[in-house]
Amino acid sequence: MELLAQVLVGGVLLGGLYALMALGLALVWGVLNIVNLSHGALIMLGAYATYYLFTGTGLDPFAALPITAIVLFVIGWLIQRGILNLVIRGPMFNTLLITFGIEVILTYLAQLLFSADFRAINPPYAGNNFRVLGITIPLMQVLAFAIAIGLTVAMWLFLLHTRVGRGIRAASQNLVAARLYGVNPRSIYALTFGIGSALAGVAGGLYGTVSQINPYIGGPLTAKSFAIAIIGGLENPLGVIVGGLVLGIVESLTALYAGSTYRDVASFGVLILVLILRPTGLLGRTT
Amino acid sequence: MPRFLVFVAALAFSAAALAQDVTFGASVQLTGPVANTGRYYKDAYEFAIDKINAAGGVKVGSQQHKIALKLLDNQSDVNLSVRQYTQLLTQEKVNFLLGPFASNFVLADSSIAEKASVPMVQGGGASDEIYARGYKYIFGTLPAASDYFGSTIEALGKLNPAPKTVALLYADDSFDVSVAKGTRDLLKKAKLQLALDEKYSTNASDFSVLLSRIKSSNVDAVLVAGHETEVLNFIRQSKSLGVNPKFYSFTVGVPSADFRHALGKDANGASGMTAWLPSSTLKDKWFGDAEQFAKAYKAKFGYDPDYHAAAGVAAVEAFVNAIEAAGSLDPNKVRDALAKSNFESLYGKIAFNDKGQISLPQIVIQIQNDQVVEVYSDNKFEHKLVYPLPPWGQR
Repeated sequence: MELLAQVLVGGVLLGGLYALMALGLALVWGVLNIVNLSHGALIMLGAYATYYLFTGTGLDPFAALPITAIVLFVIGWLIQRGILNLVIRGPMFNTLLITFGIEVILTYLAQLLFSADFRAINPPYAGNNFRVLGITIPLMQVLAFAIAIGLTVAMWLFLLHTRVGRGIRAASQNLVAARLYGVNPRSIYALTFGIGSALAGVAGGLYGTVSQINPYIGGPLTAKSFAIAIIGGLENPLGVIVGGLVLGIVESLTALYAGSTYRDVASFGVLILVLILRPTGLLGRTT
Repeated sequence: MPRFLVFVAALAFSAAALAQDVTFGASVQLTGPVANTGRYYKDAYEFAIDKINAAGGVKVGSQQHKIALKLLDNQSDVNLSVRQYTQLLTQEKVNFLLGPFASNFVLADSSIAEKASVPMVQGGGASDEIYARGYKYIFGTLPAASDYFGSTIEALGKLNPAPKTVALLYADDSFDVSVAKGTRDLLKKAKLQLALDEKYSTNASDFSVLLSRIKSSNVDAVLVAGHETEVLNFIRQSKSLGVNPKFYSFTVGVPSADFRHALGKDANGASGMTAWLPSSTLKDKWFGDAEQFAKAYKAKFGYDPDYHAAAGVAAVEAFVNAIEAAGSLDPNKVRDALAKSNFESLYGKIAFNDKGQISLPQIVIQIQNDQVVEVYSDNKFEHKLVYPLPPWGQR
């Protein structure tokens, strides 16, 4: 019983981080209609940015996250303005190819710049934990979970209640009508992609504090983010929380009862089930 | 006129290259997820070949030849590496093959060597599967995977009080499955109880469930056969979940410099094994001894060599000795000379059994005060093993 509780808590904490990883991808997908295959590479860059801010300047990794977010926002903004904007009216296939290309370039640039050495963001308190009712709770994962949930909720409020947020939603729902009301899609798109990249960067920084970093972590993280975005649905940032938590818990219970090699079978099995039963995602409107 | 001179120079150059060089071909992981270890083989091959060339190269009959290396990047993709080894033989016409890193790559690539009847010497794959197919043209400088934990389990038996229960975790690939299979037999012989025996997916990043199970089954010793990324995650998550077995040991990572670098203080207490340590007692024809080799290697590449690099150098040296013994570049004659190899090197004594694999004891090592310490070799303790491991806060 204690083991089950421990495993469930682990699954929930993992799910929080998954949610933040998927948030940027879901946002960009929903607004720009681009499945950003370079999303994982941006997570990887965020992890390196946080790592170098921490080891280079001694800045606490959590204090470094806002700087990471700004750096990744600029990178994302430039990628959208400089490259993606050229194919924004093109078919889906073109954007897939281009973002795949960006992924490859970023990955190999990272190996050139940072080498293939494994890194970990390891402040002195990284391994601390505390116990609640006999369950061990790792400090870093709780902090990562809290930031992930906080940012997701903040994103939701931003989209609902600010002028820019409403502009972003308008552009995603009906571009023609949005333009008639004075929304400038060029700046909205660049801004959205920038925010998506900044979120990826923060997720990367948090990922580096609980796992290890190398130039090749991006691919599997893109796949995971993609699954979460589909499970949760694109319409509502809270969907990715549901998607992340579902995935975290399903993976953990599978590892406990069926064996660790079945994790991916279970998580992508859930993805297929959701696509069959609720194609718009768990929090999407039913068709 | 100048154009004519260039032509003559080019002709002379290519004629010299064609007549002189003995070419080794290899496809290794320079990019992709395994690049971190793959590059050790590139560095080792180049370092050994430069040194041997500086000493005059390889003598075939009465003629000295320089050695050339044709190295391709397989991007950590097994299918690509198979195509590249085919390309090395059919288009590049290399004389001999050096191996890639990792058992699953060697397993596939050695079939190309076997079909073409060209010998491959490799220091990157240890899985018993590689040698279980009756191949004649594959030779390996890493000792058998099934015995990786042999010396460790022997050492555990001599501890007081000796551990009683063991958890065995392993990744689902050729090398690690081989390790697990051998380890089960070793544990049975040593009368240690296998309390947890669990396979996980290669590249797993979350070990919280496995760690929770280790904690609740309260095992004394944990043996992990996996890859370096997984070992790093495993150790970090052990700490953050407060899982503190009395002993844990890993097939990979522990001897590597960047492992200690990534983990810092948390690396302390991790045990592992290595077939090689840079000792001055290991004499070598080209490098003097293993200690001098390690110094020169670090000066050139900026990191300490571990057994991967030494096994790679040993592969090159085995070829050079075999070519000189055969007095020919004929692949079959060199293959027969390789099978009779018997020489001392910086890596140890190079001799292959009838399946083609080397036999070397695994030295048990542990990281103590941020250094790799030789704990147990030749059936005795060289240094004290930190056992049981202290709680996480005190490492």
